Amino acid sequence: MISLQHVTKVYRNGTTALEDVSVEVEKGEFLFIVGQSGSGKSTFVRLILKEEQATKGEIYVAGKNLAKLTSWKVPHLRRNIGTVFQDFKLLQDKTVFENVAFTLEVIGKTKQVIDQRVPEILELVGLGDKLNNFPDELSGGEQQRVSLARACVNRPLVLLADEPTGNLDPTTSVEIMRLLDKVNRIGTTVVMATHDQAIVDAMRRRVVELDKGKVIRDQARGVYS
Amino acid sequence: MRFEYLFKETTSGLRRNGLVAFAAISTTFIALLLFGLALLISRQVSLMIEATTGNVEVAVYLTDPVNPDTVRSLTTTLTDLPVVENVDFESKDEACERFRKLFANQEALVNNVDCNALPASLRVRLEDPEKYAQVEAVLQGQPGIDRIVDQSAFLDRLFAVTRVFRVGVLLISLVMLVSAAILIANTVRMGLFARRKEIGIMKLVGATNWRIRIPFLVEGLFESLVGATVAILVLFGLKVAFINPLNESVQFVPWIVNSDVIAIVPWLVLAAVVVSLLASLVGMRRFLDV
Repeated sequence: MISLQHVTKVYRNGTTALEDVSVEVEKGEFLFIVGQSGSGKSTFVRLILKEEQATKGEIYVAGKNLAKLTSWKVPHLRRNIGTVFQDFKLLQDKTVFENVAFTLEVIGKTKQVIDQRVPEILELVGLGDKLNNFPDELSGGEQQRVSLARACVNRPLVLLADEPTGNLDPTTSVEIMRLLDKVNRIGTTVVMATHDQAIVDAMRRRVVELDKGKVIRDQARGVYS
Repeated sequence: MRFEYLFKETTSGLRRNGLVAFAAISTTFIALLLFGLALLISRQVSLMIEATTGNVEVAVYLTDPVNPDTVRSLTTTLTDLPVVENVDFESKDEACERFRKLFANQEALVNNVDCNALPASLRVRLEDPEKYAQVEAVLQGQPGIDRIVDQSAFLDRLFAVTRVFRVGVLLISLVMLVSAAILIANTVRMGLFARRKEIGIMKLVGATNWRIRIPFLVEGLFESLVGATVAILVLFGLKVAFINPLNESVQFVPWIVNSDVIAIVPWLVLAAVVVSLLASLVGMRRFLDV
């Protein structure tokens, strides 16, 4: 599903964020990317979204070579990738329903599809009763569930989560992880960058550890360190 | 693209930076008003030229008494010239009639002039008024001609004066159009900036660039079209307020009519559309790289 082959990323200011990284992610897999801040986790995520270009090496997502993807096809790549971030990235002036509906609106889905799918997915993440609340009326965990709903409403092939539990307390984090696990079990490939040791240890999934831009460990059913 | 989506995004954009939108609208209005004025002045000038010179460009005054054979032979000579459109003979009586009409409001003048003093003439209309020299050349040395009067000197002056005026107004309107474009580009840019988080999320969830751009394009288009509409209405107002009274009092000059104003509407709308689309595209150029 995702394949990085000898990928090196050097930013314009000379920082080497990733160096000769090769990772294969199968369809339906659940993968943790762990490492210190600045180890290259976020760059990994940005490369897959084609927010950044690899300096060297090749990246394939859903069979497509990202280097050869023209800029007007990038939106179509992103429609296949759901994203969840540490800071939720919700629009404060839109309700929960509108935030999730927004995703479907901008890719041109009809009102019928939106009215059917949005309540469905919000029900699934346990926010069926908060459709008309605004993000600032919700707790952090609830906001992250909204953003998870937004990421999944378009039924993506891949779910990218960059520190999704970074702003949450342990109990709430566990709820989010349960949802991610649920999403994974229905066949979505999940890639999660994190430095939350407890979660990685509890899940016992594949772990790729980065250190200063290099893969120093790739372990099936691994723990944090 | 759903209309509802478009409408929602556009109106919220207009509300958000209302003051800048207002500035863009009023600048477009002034620019297009001046542009329209320049067009109408051109039209008025060409109407006046048609009235004063379309009838006669060259007057060939004949010596008394007028010999009908001379008139006939001169007329033939003139009509054989390719630049001559037509030739009219004006007898002394007709000249007198025209004189009386022209100065109808100056009775003293009319009463004091002996109609017998007015010469008969051949009134020549040219296809190209600038080719006057050809007429003079062909008539050189022909008998029965008193003198040849060319209106081109008068026309040159009229052209010179009106050209300065027309070009001046056109230049000002051009400058205003450019500032309108800059203001529209600015509203678009401010809108993009105010919504950069929203746009970031739109890109993240796979919105195409055009999906993001179109609401901003429509916003700019709306602003310039409102400006254009007001400009058109004001032009009509000016026509009614200033030209209509003139039409009553100064009847020997043809004045522009409503249909002349209507004729420039498409040009104003076209200018508004082109300016706003260019401005919006320039305004969001750098913002939307993937």
